Amino acid sequence: MKGYRENLSEALQAVLPITLVVMILQFSMVSMPAVVFIRFLLGALMVMVGLSLFLHGVKTGLLPLGELVGVEMPKRASFAFMLLLAFILGFVVTVADPNVRVLAHQVDVVSGGEINRNILILTVALGVGFFVALAMLRIIVGIPIAYLLAGGYVLVIILSFFTHPDFVPIGFDAGGVTTGPVTVPFILAFGVGTASVLGGRSSITDGFGLVGLASIGPVIGVMILGVVFG
Amino acid sequence: MTELLEFLYIGEVVEEVAVALGPLILFFIFFQVFFLKLPREYVFNLLKGVVMTSVGLVLFLQGVKVGFLPTGTAMGEILGGSGRPWFLIPIGFGFGLVATIAEPAVRILSFEVEKASNGAIRAKVILITLSLGVALFVALGMVRTIYGIPVHYLVIPGYLGALAMLKFSDQTFTSIAFDAGGVATGPMTVTFVMALSVGVASVMEGRNPILDGFGLIALVGLAPILSVMVLGLFYSSGRRR
Repeated sequence: MKGYRENLSEALQAVLPITLVVMILQFSMVSMPAVVFIRFLLGALMVMVGLSLFLHGVKTGLLPLGELVGVEMPKRASFAFMLLLAFILGFVVTVADPNVRVLAHQVDVVSGGEINRNILILTVALGVGFFVALAMLRIIVGIPIAYLLAGGYVLVIILSFFTHPDFVPIGFDAGGVTTGPVTVPFILAFGVGTASVLGGRSSITDGFGLVGLASIGPVIGVMILGVVFG
Repeated sequence: MTELLEFLYIGEVVEEVAVALGPLILFFIFFQVFFLKLPREYVFNLLKGVVMTSVGLVLFLQGVKVGFLPTGTAMGEILGGSGRPWFLIPIGFGFGLVATIAEPAVRILSFEVEKASNGAIRAKVILITLSLGVALFVALGMVRTIYGIPVHYLVIPGYLGALAMLKFSDQTFTSIAFDAGGVATGPMTVTFVMALSVGVASVMEGRNPILDGFGLIALVGLAPILSVMVLGLFYSSGRRR
């Protein structure tokens, strides 16, 4: 457990502020039922311990793991194969993300059952896969990220005028869907690792942006569904 | 006291974490078998970290779900029905701030930025910029809920603003900013802030808790994009001097 103490103190610093704010409110203007408050305190303890283990585990497991894959990939795989792997990574991670199911349920309700969950999950996963591959292409070829982001979000804004109004907020919300706490460390390290071994790229300038580009996929996916079914 | 037993029902959360982690492990195993061929002991150490990540995340998510979610809803209901709804605006700011500070992926992004920049961009600076951005936009989200403003009146100008800033921001900060937008919408912020907003909407007349809740995550995702790009402008003007 080398270095665990450091992560424990980081977790403490992270959870203390929210705990104090709730405690101050509880004893001043917003008194909640005692049982809710006790649940909060127990929850805060659990969150703190959980966060310290998570941070330590990510730094010793998921980050080096993602980085290793990112560093090794350009050495062994062809250009096209790298794009394919990036696509598969984005696709699979989305299908497995628990939040996609919540989104699928919302869309099911708003569309009155017309858009079933499989169509939605497939569309969103294709969207994420496509954008992760595009993000990989940018790291390899060195396209300025601003062009890709501008292209993506201009398309989103145009679509928002044609899609059914109910789909606009859901679409924008969907952007947060694929970026859970398991996926983020892996994808971040993967991008930083890949950029670090490619000639003429630096990990700080070119390694980031995969998560951000991946977030556009679901927005476009949901809005296109809203145009088709709306 | 039976309500406290809810902490023990962790099945759902365990499944969530296992399913999310599965594909990444398979992806790694594929690389390990065909390309990496790392020594067994090294792989074992990595997997120990992965197990620790999973246990930590299960505890974290369960604590948020059973402990924090009812608190958010209860506070929203009490404040929404208090006759002083404007008070929700500073409360929204406060909770947006402290919830983002406790967000796991936000910590990891800040850590990676500091590492990849060899310490030139400090983790604390990213963390605070990001959290302040979210705080401001959750406060805006509360204004929206109280006065019933449609969400796209805020989100579309916000994204247009972000697009305009692309022209001035440098590549490094642009990438970090959009990544920050993705990580801010994590389990802590989304659960706590959503619960607060749903609580408010459920006691205020003429509000639909479900529809009013939509769009809040979009605001949380937009906030750090703008705040981190603004931070980037400070960094680049500092460098020019």
